Amino acid sequence: MIAKTFDPEGVVNAMAPLLGLTLTADSRAQTIVHLRIAAEQAEKLLSVPLDDQQEPAPVFTA
Amino acid sequence: MSAALVDGTAEAIAGAVRSGAVSAREIAQETLNRIEARNGALGAFTEVTVKRALAKADAIDTARVRGENLGPLAGAPFAVKNLFDVEGLTTRAGSKINRDHPPAKADATMITRLEAAGGVLVGALNMGEYAYDFTGRNVHDGPSRNPHDLEHMTGGSSGGSAAAVAGGLVPVALGSDTNGSIRVPSSFCGLFGLKPTYGRLSRAGTFPFVASLDHVGPLARSAGDLALSYDSMLGRDDRDPAQADEPAAAASPTLDVGIAGLRIARLGGYFARSADPSAISAVNTIARALKADRVVELTGADRARSAAYLITMVEGAALHLARLRERAQDFDPEVRDRLIAGAMVPGAWSAQAQKFRRQFHAATLALFRDVDILLAPATPCRAPRLEQTTFVLDGREMLVRPNIGLFTQPISFIGLPVVAAPVWTEGEKLPIGVQIIAAPWREDLALRVAWALERDGVVRAPAAGLS
Repeated sequence: MIAKTFDPEGVVNAMAPLLGLTLTADSRAQTIVHLRIAAEQAEKLLSVPLDDQQEPAPVFTA
Repeated sequence: MSAALVDGTAEAIAGAVRSGAVSAREIAQETLNRIEARNGALGAFTEVTVKRALAKADAIDTARVRGENLGPLAGAPFAVKNLFDVEGLTTRAGSKINRDHPPAKADATMITRLEAAGGVLVGALNMGEYAYDFTGRNVHDGPSRNPHDLEHMTGGSSGGSAAAVAGGLVPVALGSDTNGSIRVPSSFCGLFGLKPTYGRLSRAGTFPFVASLDHVGPLARSAGDLALSYDSMLGRDDRDPAQADEPAAAASPTLDVGIAGLRIARLGGYFARSADPSAISAVNTIARALKADRVVELTGADRARSAAYLITMVEGAALHLARLRERAQDFDPEVRDRLIAGAMVPGAWSAQAQKFRRQFHAATLALFRDVDILLAPATPCRAPRLEQTTFVLDGREMLVRPNIGLFTQPISFIGLPVVAAPVWTEGEKLPIGVQIIAAPWREDLALRVAWALERDGVVRAPAAGLS
């Protein structure tokens, strides 16, 4: 369960300096909101397993 | 006469210019006058190419005197979202940062094609910063405003494109659509909008957002103009590496073939939840007119939306990471913080999203063995008010900006061609759109259905009554 284990505050604290990003307090707060939404989306996406053999579509063609 | 023509279609303007009933210069001048008079209220244009438009119009009038072929869009004005390169203008892509770039040295391919067909470029249009937007707000240039009610959003990110067309300034505008940025403003402003198949139209000379999801296409006040402009932009362009080597036939000649025999179904499940009654009612109106009783499921649509959401965050962040480091304060804060979050999304999530994309694509193509056209809401509601930041969907309060594209995202995720068609309800000031979705490379079918609905008076896209 991503939503239970994912810690957006911890991610921002760790990742911002690694990425060379300096966040204001407002920006940090909103980034946390958006990471939480991303975790909700990932939860939906990853809740059903995909086959190991499933090819990704990094170069998508319709 | 030119005023009445400018209220109408590009097709009618071109016919009148070709016949000599009106000059291209008269049309261009009337258009420029309107932009001058109305743009302050609409926030549609960020740059107006006055000299270029008049020079092009004069060239068309001269060519007519010489008896030359003027093209299907002869003298028809058009404008482009300001992420399209226009020679001599800086491609701002809705941002402050890109204004430091040098002016474009050449036009985007789609501009070259429309002008080759006789179109007259009159300017560049407002948009959400870096196209990461569904509202039409822009912190640097001010919002584009919905011509049918100026206190409401145009939708985005092609907000200026929709404001210009619905406001009666131009009959056709170009936009881009990564997750819904043509279809959302078409829905909110009551226009026809075409998001072609991924890889169909060249994106060369446009500022990117999410390379694996970016499309370009037209917005117009008639399905015929949508087809005419689409036809004029078809053709191979090696400058866009994502463009597919698919044969492309013009759609305009097939519009009046009719829709008999087409298997049309509406999408249920995900596309019937999280929608305001107005969105459901609009789909019902179109489904009734098309006698489409069948309901089918696009299994996995919810996850498709989630996957598109994550791919957008990650690819968008990768594009802008250096700018986020160096010029964070110059971004629209609403865009910046989503991009920063995208830079922190685990790689495994986006890799899984791409794996799911392949699976969902295959499953959806299988659905098209039994159906030709799918119907779904374009937006979950009519245009929110400009200042609105949240709305309630399915009993849950959500942020407006990331969630307006609930119904468009699963469709563009796998590149399907879609025409957004506008439905009006008596007594309501604002319209709402329905997605007419076809299998890959069948833009012709979606356009044919939209054309038939317009002919029968089920959908329409009038210019707003502005003075």
